[in-house]
Amino acid sequence: MKEVKLFLGPQHPGMHGNSSIHMYVDGDIIKRSYLLPGMLHRGFEKSMERRTWMNNIALIPRICVPEPDPNEMVFALNAEALASVEVPERAHWIRMLVLELARLSAHLMAFGGIGGPTGLYTAMYWAQADRDSILTLFEEITGQRVYHMYITIGGVRKDLPKGIEKKILAFVDDLESRLPDYENLVLNNPSVQARTKDQIMLPAEVVWELGVTGIGMRSSTGKAYDLRKVTPYARYDKVEFDVPTATYSDAHTRLTLKYLEMYQIIRIIRQILDLMPAGKVREKALDGSALRWQVPAGQVYSAVEASRGEYGYYTVSTGGTMPYRVAVRGASFPQATLGIEKYLPGHRIDDAALWFDTMGICSPEIDR
Amino acid sequence: MATADKEKKLKEGWEGISRFFRANSLWMLMYCTGCCAIELPQAMTSRYDMERLGMGPMATPRQADVLLVTGYLSVKTLRRVIYAYEQMSTPKYIVAFGPCTINGGIYHDAATVIKSLDQYLPIDVYIAGCMPKPEAVMNGFQDLIDMIKDKTADGWKRYRDNYDWYKQNQIESLGELRIKDEYHE
Amino acid sequence: MSKINMQLKELTENVGKSYSVLQVDYPTPNQAALDFQPGDVHAVLAYLKGQGFRQMSLLSCVDWIEDGQFQLVYLLFNWEAGLRLQVRTRIDRANPVFTTVTGIYPGAKYYERDVHEFFGVEFNGNPDSSKPLFLENWDDMPPMRKDFDPQAYSDRKYKAREYKTDFNTKAGEGQ
Repeated sequence: MKEVKLFLGPQHPGMHGNSSIHMYVDGDIIKRSYLLPGMLHRGFEKSMERRTWMNNIALIPRICVPEPDPNEMVFALNAEALASVEVPERAHWIRMLVLELARLSAHLMAFGGIGGPTGLYTAMYWAQADRDSILTLFEEITGQRVYHMYITIGGVRKDLPKGIEKKILAFVDDLESRLPDYENLVLNNPSVQARTKDQIMLPAEVVWELGVTGIGMRSSTGKAYDLRKVTPYARYDKVEFDVPTATYSDAHTRLTLKYLEMYQIIRIIRQILDLMPAGKVREKALDGSALRWQVPAGQVYSAVEASRGEYGYYTVSTGGTMPYRVAVRGASFPQATLGIEKYLPGHRIDDAALWFDTMGICSPEIDR
Repeated sequence: MATADKEKKLKEGWEGISRFFRANSLWMLMYCTGCCAIELPQAMTSRYDMERLGMGPMATPRQADVLLVTGYLSVKTLRRVIYAYEQMSTPKYIVAFGPCTINGGIYHDAATVIKSLDQYLPIDVYIAGCMPKPEAVMNGFQDLIDMIKDKTADGWKRYRDNYDWYKQNQIESLGELRIKDEYHE
Repeated sequence: MSKINMQLKELTENVGKSYSVLQVDYPTPNQAALDFQPGDVHAVLAYLKGQGFRQMSLLSCVDWIEDGQFQLVYLLFNWEAGLRLQVRTRIDRANPVFTTVTGIYPGAKYYERDVHEFFGVEFNGNPDSSKPLFLENWDDMPPMRKDFDPQAYSDRKYKAREYKTDFNTKAGEGQ
């Protein structure tokens, strides 16, 4: 049969975000496929060179839309490393709390997102409703639902509102009591199992070849390759949590790991609320007005574990009021670009949407 | 005189009826062009439930009524948005989200993001906020429904009447309008 | 920077024995930045990959316009030990050509395309590196170079709405 050219996206209900896969198919088997990124390219790296260090905090959450907080965190970590700023103890714990809540909301979105390609819309409705509760908590903590601009250089913008601990605990208790329902709905669902078991394999050698991180890496290597464990930032060395791993990485395994991680996030959040000390939440990082801060010269890379993997910024400063260069490492860049070119061929057309969902691909962080 | 008058009245009556049905059954094109789309799932699902306004998602542009431009548009996306808009059948409406569609917003100095969407496509409703909360989104849709009912949502007529002006602007900024479907080969 | 990771220090010393390291810097306790001549980079990367640095996190480029140089930065990570290395080299800005590292780190393929698109660095041996990736119909110099002005490009290229009233604050107003 003749090869047919087919486009998945950008305008397609199965597509995650605004990007496109160009594929050549024979029957319904993909023969060659390429990602066409750039529909969300805004030139962040250039814009950041044109804004002051503090102004950038307002710009960068937009680089990854479902989980914006790691952006602020890595940017602040880099500036603090260059300026040798010590962050107050309480600020570390609040940062962890915000990052874990953001991870939980991103996991819920991706876990419910499996409803799209498998036709199980109930999962999406449930997950969005729970995610909405987290956004409401965020609104109370930071004033914004999605883009928080909360973690800044030298700490966090302001202290937690009074009584928020109770609301967070009530929410995680409620979610934890209903997580088994999610398991029954999604993971044990025969129609989801038929679509995900033994599908879209990600062997360990492919992980190392592409440079996949996050759940994709842990699901095939069987090791706890989690930046929170390997190079602890904030106070992740003070809390106890397990990193779920596996050695057989199909789409179902990766979904299961996402599900198991939600339990660990809840465990971390409980410990944070328990151990969080009182005190200052923000240190004045440098002298003078925050808009005229001059961060000392240097070149540093920092990364945090986002819900999709290693998320990092490489920051270059020449001692000016603006960064000289910032390079963004999108966590899902390898599996979306080279992964789709090399390993999607051979799958069926309908697996492309599953690839996007279970590999945790987020198109704005690829395009930047 | 009598027959012409009657025909005119009949036509107006029919238009009124079709406007009523159009306003109460809007299909929006599932195309997430930018970051404001992240609040759309919230608006669509249990808590805000867009379907009570009679709105639902539609996969193909040929059967959709509303094009949501959710935020900034890079030139690469604008090419595809124009393509999708011209495929939609009339009457069609555009709802633009956030400040980025008005003057570029926070991306005013970005080389790949357009500044003002109304130079390229006609817009019926703007929704304020970066990003608009689901309440604002629902309010914007209610505004659109009211505008359809009182005949002020006429963007598609403006596009038809000023087609040359829109096309000229599009070509000036985008160069070529045709989407190259080869993978840059 | 009091307590630099001992293992990292040992490693940089070992690298220094076999290759000529121009400069060593420790931005954080478990991160080292090493500068090399362009000719040494491939040998160093191959050596480091054997030392447990199995992942290349990022390939980036910095435009040092005043020195007339591009700096290529390879960020490596060792998942077992939690160590990070910046392998850096500088190439001529007027003639930006380098050789691909896809033979050592296959994942570099798209990062090289990214650097080519935004800085104009050619990578010999990467057949796709000169194809456009993010930009479509781009008609100016590579946009991440320091002498590119995105504001001027945007003003020239994209139409803006004309306002009858100027709402911008004049100097001295609104203080």
